[in-house]
Amino acid sequence: MAENKTVDLSAYKDVWVFAEQRGGVITPVVFELLGKGRDLASDIGDVKLCAILLGEDLSDMTTQLFEAGADVVYTADSPLLKNYTSDGYTKVISDAIHEFKPEIVLYGATHIGRDLAPRIAKRVSTGLTADCTKLDIDPETKGILQTRPAFGGNLMATIKCPNHRPQMSTVRPGVMDKAPVQKGRTGEVIPVTLTLQESDIRTKIIEIVKTAKDMVSLTDAEIIVSGGAGLGDASGFELIKKFADKVGGVVGASRAAVDAGWIDHSHQVGQTGTTVKPKIYIACGISGAIQHLAGMQTSDIIIAINKNPMAPIFEVADYGIVGDLYKVIPELMEAWG
Amino acid sequence: MFEKKHEMLRKLAREFAEKELEPIAADAEKEGAYPKELWQKVAKYGFTGITIPEAYGGCGGDYKSLAIVVEEFCKKDAAASSLIMSNSLSGAPYLYYGTEEQKQKYLRPMVEGKTIGAFALTEPGAGSDSGATQTTCLWDEEQGCYILNGRKCFITMGPICDYAVVFAKSNLEAKGTRGISAFIVEADWEGFSRGKTEEKMGMHASVTSDLVFNNVKVPKENLLGKEGQGFKIAMGILDAGRVTVASQGLGIAAGCLDLAVEYSKERVQFGRPICKLQDVAFKLADMATEVEATRLLVYDVADKLDKKQKVTLQAAMAKYKAGEVCNQVAYKALQIHGGYGYMQDYAIERMTRAARLVSIYEGTSEIQKLVISGNLLK
Ligand SMILES: Cc1cc2nc3c(=O)[nH]c(=O)nc-3n(C[C@H](O)[C@H](O)[C@H](O)COP(=O)(O)OP(=O)(O)OC[C@H]3O[C@@H](n4cnc5c(N)ncnc54)[C@H](O)[C@@H]3O)c2cc1C
Ligand SMILES: Cc1cc2nc3c(=O)[nH]c(=O)nc-3n(C[C@H](O)[C@H](O)[C@H](O)COP(=O)(O)OP(=O)(O)OC[C@H]3O[C@@H](n4cnc5c(N)ncnc54)[C@H](O)[C@@H]3O)c2cc1C
Repeated sequence: MAENKTVDLSAYKDVWVFAEQRGGVITPVVFELLGKGRDLASDIGDVKLCAILLGEDLSDMTTQLFEAGADVVYTADSPLLKNYTSDGYTKVISDAIHEFKPEIVLYGATHIGRDLAPRIAKRVSTGLTADCTKLDIDPETKGILQTRPAFGGNLMATIKCPNHRPQMSTVRPGVMDKAPVQKGRTGEVIPVTLTLQESDIRTKIIEIVKTAKDMVSLTDAEIIVSGGAGLGDASGFELIKKFADKVGGVVGASRAAVDAGWIDHSHQVGQTGTTVKPKIYIACGISGAIQHLAGMQTSDIIIAINKNPMAPIFEVADYGIVGDLYKVIPELMEAWG
Repeated sequence: MFEKKHEMLRKLAREFAEKELEPIAADAEKEGAYPKELWQKVAKYGFTGITIPEAYGGCGGDYKSLAIVVEEFCKKDAAASSLIMSNSLSGAPYLYYGTEEQKQKYLRPMVEGKTIGAFALTEPGAGSDSGATQTTCLWDEEQGCYILNGRKCFITMGPICDYAVVFAKSNLEAKGTRGISAFIVEADWEGFSRGKTEEKMGMHASVTSDLVFNNVKVPKENLLGKEGQGFKIAMGILDAGRVTVASQGLGIAAGCLDLAVEYSKERVQFGRPICKLQDVAFKLADMATEVEATRLLVYDVADKLDKKQKVTLQAAMAKYKAGEVCNQVAYKALQIHGGYGYMQDYAIERMTRAARLVSIYEGTSEIQKLVISGNLLK
């Protein structure tokens, strides 16, 4: 347990965003955090929006952070920080927190953010709320109200961190609006004091492997566009993929489509495939056999496109379109803009 | 009940099973198919047309004969009754409801071992409740034929059939089961396709798959029986079909008993064959008694069928009893084999997996109980 010593809250100031980078490229969620961070900073009033950036050769990335709204960028430039390691990043950021005392620190809930934030929280003895979907400032206390889904999304919990600083959250990527880019905007660069030694880092990175294959993460997807036997042949999935890209979704399939060899089993939704619960499930040319429904019927919104008005899929669909999917989908894509 | 000809047939079927089926059963299970030559051999011996009249290339035998052959086949190879499905599910619809042309065109080549038929009733959403059929086969005035659309699942011989009797709604207005008709559909027609071969727990040599119909044009002459008669046809076939499945259960049970008796005499533990242990001997006694009770039930129904009596109730009882008994007997027989029984080198392992199907297909045990209790309580 964190020791219950009293913290001088007034000593902490400013909103920080952890500027996660991979291979010299800033992770998209950082710009979302800067967007939200700006709102939080102005709601508190009289505080700066800062980013903390670790890595090697930081100048280009620093510029980007200023243009996305950071007033200050704290930098830690070292070959030891080129790639993420739990030990290295935890030490540098914890030290910087002790040195500069930010009031709020935000991290993207990426694999790195989820690994890093709890370690720092323990190191600096403060609270952390994971995977937040909403952040606000309490007008009275000026503390942060961190809202996150719990119990598989069935409960929204709003969490405060009244007595410890900084107040820290990881934020789910894709839920906050990106900060607008202001070309030419600059700010102050403050290097943090680096005491990091190679021996502090227990992890040795041997190789970073990027999988070439499109990873299908049906369970995490918010939108799934699924194709079934109604596609007629394998090339139908090109249309489904286009449609999915357009709406920001992931491609799913019925077993009939998988068995026909049109698409890999990793895409199969249903009793013997993946069980999904996206915000929107779009079933194209899928009849709606119970073995398929069992895997998707709890989706928030189900949209069915099928030329047979009697197809059982319409019994679970919130929106049904009776028609040829090859005519309907292009029109939908156009309407989407 | 049995005549001389039945005893001769039993002898023939037994020899065939021992000589042709038993030696390849394990391989066929691994391969997931019977060798082509076997199909022809089965036909050459006349097993494909036991109950089919001579006019269509069959032997004109009775149901007792069919039960005998199925029992003997399944004693050695649980999946083998699918080789002679032309006598029941695949062939009977033509025999009972087909026109002369349909019988000559579809039934005869099946009996002669030239073609393979299938019976397509079950759908993803319509199993026990076969009236819930979603497949449609609607008359198209413009094209002058029926247009078949839908998907059938779990179709025995689906992956290799040349044609199938397909049950579909031909009238969307007619209430419930009355709008269903039966159609003969050929596999090389445009719009006909098959799902992948299902990977089953057992009976691997008896192949199973989906059949898919996408705007298949079905000519008028391929309507089987009359429009709207489909459900009646399906149920009528199933009565006789159930006797075949009951015989299959009987054969599996009897085969498992044989394996257990033989093994218990050979296996020595604590200085003597395990059959000398009273618990093992008593198990065998229980198994033999159950097998005999089932046998009497099965042959009694076959006899009643031959006498043209209505057998719905008894057929359900025989199917129910045989389905459950073959599972119990297989379980005990495997137990008697000890650890060896759990290995694929021993036939009992294959027979036990196969037994599991008998209480499920052609109407689950629960559906049989529904029929039986319905008859009791009406
Ligand atoms: C052991 C087992 C496990 C199974 N597990 C699963 C599972 O996990 N997931 C799964 O999905 N299924 C599963 N099934 C299969 C399931 O029973 C169905 O067969 C399958 O879902 C059907 O897929 P479908 O809807 O794509 O095809 P179909 O049922 O053939 O339906 C195709 C649909 O497309 C429509 N259509 C055709 N052309 C067009 C067009 N041009 N425009 C619009 N619509 C059109 C048709 O009207 C029809 O409704 C399983 C089956 C078995 C035996
Ligand atoms: C290997 C194999 C081969 C087959 N071959 C063929 C074939 O060639 N042609 C064909 O048309 N079909 C075939 N079938 C389908 C078979 O007949 C069905 O699987 C069977 O009728 C059960 O239907 P279901 O699987 O949809 O189970 P369901 O009907 O979904 O039953 C699930 C469970 O609910 C119980 N249940 C359902 N309704 C009731 C009720 N009213 N009262 C009490 N209990 C109930 C059942 O007993 C069962 O325990 C085959 C199946 C298999 C596995």
